Amino acid sequence: MNSRSRVLLSLIFFFVTTLASAQGGGQLRFCLRSDPKTFDPVLVDDDPSERVRYITGGFLMRLNRFTQQLEPELATSWKVSKDGRTISFRLREGLRFSDGTPFSADDVAFTMQRLMDLSLHSPTGDAFRSGDGKVQTQVLAPNKISVTFPAPIASLDQHFDQVAIMSAKSPKKEMAVLGPFYVSDYKAGSYLQLNRNPNYWKHDENGRQLPYLDSVRLDIQGNRDTEMLRFLRGEIDLVDNVDAEYYSRVQTEQAGSGHDSGVTLDPEQVWFNQTPKSPIPAYKRAWFRSTNFRVAIWQALNRDDIARIVYRGRAQSAVGMLSPADKFWFNTRLTTHSYDRQGALKLLAQDGFRLQNGQLFDRDGHLVEFSLVTGAGNKTRERIATMMQQDLSQIGIKLNVVPLDFPSLIERITRTYDYEACLLGLTNMSLGPDAQMNVWLSSADNHQWNPRQKQPETAWEAEIDRLMRTQASSLDPKKRKEAFDRVQQIAWEQAPFIYLVNRHALSAISPKLHNAQPAVLQPYVYWNIDRISKSAEVASK
Amino acid sequence: MIWMRNIAIGVLAMTFAACLLAGTIAPASYAMQFREEPDAAPSHQHWLGTDDLGRDRFSRLLQGTRISLLLAPAAAFLTSVLAGLIGGIAGYWGGWTERVLMAAADLVLSLPWLFLLLTARALMPLNVSPMNSVAITFLILGLLGWAAAARVVCAGARSLRASDFSLQARAMGCGEARLLFRHVAPNLQPMLLTQFWISIPVFILAEANLGILGLGVVEPLPSWGSLLKELSGLTAISGQPWVFVPLLLLIAVVTSFQVLLVDQELPS
Amino acid sequence: MESLLKLSLSAHYANKPAVLREVTFEIGRGEILGLVGPSGCGKSTLSLAILRLLHLKRGAATGSIEFQGRDLMLLRESEMRALRGKEIGLVLQSPLASLNPALRIGTQLAEAWRAHVKSSREDCNEAIRQMLSTVSLPSDDEFLRRYPSQMSVGQAQRVLIGMAVLHRPALLLADEPTSALDPVTQSEILRLFANLSQRFNMSILYISHDLLSVAAISHRVAVLSAGQIVECAETAQVFRNPQHPYTRALVDSIPLQALNELAGNQHATARTAAAGSSK
Repeated sequence: MNSRSRVLLSLIFFFVTTLASAQGGGQLRFCLRSDPKTFDPVLVDDDPSERVRYITGGFLMRLNRFTQQLEPELATSWKVSKDGRTISFRLREGLRFSDGTPFSADDVAFTMQRLMDLSLHSPTGDAFRSGDGKVQTQVLAPNKISVTFPAPIASLDQHFDQVAIMSAKSPKKEMAVLGPFYVSDYKAGSYLQLNRNPNYWKHDENGRQLPYLDSVRLDIQGNRDTEMLRFLRGEIDLVDNVDAEYYSRVQTEQAGSGHDSGVTLDPEQVWFNQTPKSPIPAYKRAWFRSTNFRVAIWQALNRDDIARIVYRGRAQSAVGMLSPADKFWFNTRLTTHSYDRQGALKLLAQDGFRLQNGQLFDRDGHLVEFSLVTGAGNKTRERIATMMQQDLSQIGIKLNVVPLDFPSLIERITRTYDYEACLLGLTNMSLGPDAQMNVWLSSADNHQWNPRQKQPETAWEAEIDRLMRTQASSLDPKKRKEAFDRVQQIAWEQAPFIYLVNRHALSAISPKLHNAQPAVLQPYVYWNIDRISKSAEVASK
Repeated sequence: MIWMRNIAIGVLAMTFAACLLAGTIAPASYAMQFREEPDAAPSHQHWLGTDDLGRDRFSRLLQGTRISLLLAPAAAFLTSVLAGLIGGIAGYWGGWTERVLMAAADLVLSLPWLFLLLTARALMPLNVSPMNSVAITFLILGLLGWAAAARVVCAGARSLRASDFSLQARAMGCGEARLLFRHVAPNLQPMLLTQFWISIPVFILAEANLGILGLGVVEPLPSWGSLLKELSGLTAISGQPWVFVPLLLLIAVVTSFQVLLVDQELPS
Repeated sequence: MESLLKLSLSAHYANKPAVLREVTFEIGRGEILGLVGPSGCGKSTLSLAILRLLHLKRGAATGSIEFQGRDLMLLRESEMRALRGKEIGLVLQSPLASLNPALRIGTQLAEAWRAHVKSSREDCNEAIRQMLSTVSLPSDDEFLRRYPSQMSVGQAQRVLIGMAVLHRPALLLADEPTSALDPVTQSEILRLFANLSQRFNMSILYISHDLLSVAAISHRVAVLSAGQIVECAETAQVFRNPQHPYTRALVDSIPLQALNELAGNQHATARTAAAGSSK
């Protein structure tokens, strides 16, 4: 080949590649709350990093945020062994990383070894650490690999939703990705530019390469007011998670751009301190350890009012430990505790409490008064607490709300146990019982009301322990569901956590965006970012 | 400016009267949540509408005014007295007294107050009534605010000490303590009065901001600070002009006090 | 004449050694001694040293100050305080700066009175009114309620003098008391000093850089130069026969006409003093 034809050829190549990479889907803009702390998918521990990983990473399989089904991605199929220790994958062939490095089973092996490398302390890897020992990877063929863990892991395949595959060979290391976009420019504190990955493997139904979008620009913006203003001014295309308060404003100012995808997994919950070593008075601990007392409080709280007023209707009264948003695992036989002041007083009377001149006294004559700690500066929670104050005053209980800065709050509820009741929200990232293990086992650190018990202190906690272990060791989904339904039932009856409301997933989406299908699992809006487009023409093809 | 003075007196008299009579003229309890009508516009029943939990804004304004107007000046007074005493003594005596006291002032200025306030909160029992919590907060503010002012007072006292009239007073046989309190102190008064007036709005807002540390006024009690805090944020400024009434009242009251103060100032 | 004050003093400042070097003189009871010297020769140092207030200006004095038979240098501070204002009065140069701008005249005078006398409010008021009329000032309530800034300089100086003589001290130290005043007021004040001295048999140490005003009221004149008394004699003698070169220069600088008039009348009239000392 002479030099001239070589030039011509490279010119043609240039045109072909630029044409291929210019999809015409436009640039999507939205905000991250803060700088991502890492681009290394194994080390991700904060929300912005997780969001970047979601958009750039290629995963063996992924939970469809909308259908809540696990779907094949880099792996076309997989199989979990009977003992729950080994998973084997068949991989897609002929794929390349964003920098052109070919993808093979070696990359999966490399990623798994890094993930389980104890010296890296990977938070994602924690989900796989069920026992001591090393993970074993066996590359059977360039497109076949099996991974064996030292101990069985319940719902092993589900955890791979978080594992972005890294290249073993690419000189660009973690910056070479298999997802729809790669990080092309980053200015700390300012913005993050993600360009479309020209080697992304997915195609739409018409055989057109995804993603439709040309690029994504993520502005680092910590202030939520500013974020909302920028959305209303049209500077950004979406706000993934909108507070109820802002939501009504979006609705009035830009009809049609607010989206309510329905109830989320996240509960707001209250619990009483039942820890024996806590420095609170014994008579108060006795109230808190009484099931009747806890259920009475649950019944005395008007959770519908909280949903209606604090969340402006964009929440619903919670049923129990799981939100109905968890389609498979939610125990449908349970219904929310009814708001019943008289019922609450009846339950309290069974324990010897009595109402006198509008004040509640226990059987020894102590005035029923307790404090509720919650995170300071969180308007939603402060409002909930204020509403609880009024509800409880109706059954003669004096509630003192104590907003604390977050570190002090954590210190109190996890170390000194110097608190009486606590109001906190929980962000549930995953479905089902797996993430619930470290809350419900009586020996667990996050067994908030009475953590790290050597022996379960009550019969019902012992039963929950047993059921949770049963479901974790079983591979039969039906048996697991049965056991976990029972756990939900006991939690509902014993009320160690008083669940108040599950909020709705609210988002703001510019009408210019096509194919957005907001879900109730995070990320709400751009979970299908490879199919989102800003051009109607591109999207409809 | 007689008319300004009269307006100022009128504003203050009305505000104080409203505070004193808060119990009788408030249409509802400041804590009562009218849950059927949150965020309501002003009406016959709720003169200033209701807040986001359906509480009567007018009643909350009365109660908040009562708390802030009582406690903020008290804290400002405390801080001014401390600044006057410490700064005055330091500047007047000079020498190592001055060095020690001003070092203390620098220390107070440089301390990481955030952490000390957190410690203060940690030391407070959990079951504190809202009224005590807000009172303690103002007490802390009052006890901490003196340092910067004390430096100014110290410089003033130092020059007063070297002044001819101090020499004259000494030559008249005046003792040290008497000289400080009867001769020097009156000259520091304008400085301290300024400090006092500046501190009031500062403390009102500081109290609101301490909320994020778990100090300050707690639900359901209102204060000017917590009422003003509602104005922050995007949703507050959308088409509800009546929510600005607390802000206007704060401006009116502070201005009125200042008008009266200027009127009283020494002829010069 | 009976001796009231007899001193022999040296004084220095932290950064200025030997401001006064064995300054020695004597004042008799009822005598007016004029002390002249150029600016910066230590005149003011002397008055502060006598009151033992020199430390306020970071200075120190050694020697002896024999006053009414006691050596002031040996007295305790509390004893000294009892003496200041009661037995020894002080009038400073700038009347407005010497009055406390934040206190009403009545309050300041009452303070001066209460510094030495425990008495009822009526007695205090009575003493103040009497004193004010002595220095030819109004003594009505309106006047007592005034602040220093509401008075003329002359009035303020009269108030100061009145305050200094409130307790009828045996000795009055007048440190350049007229140099901030206009000529007419100056002559009035000079006459007031002479008057008070006679009336209360009060000795005055009259310090000034202006020889002519000193000559107008002094029985004797001492000349201070470079921290030492270089000449001390009867007033007339100093004028007629100055000994020291500095004294001679001082005398020579006075207009001849004024000098002639002085020669004729040792206790010059206020008019001539005023005319002669105008600068």
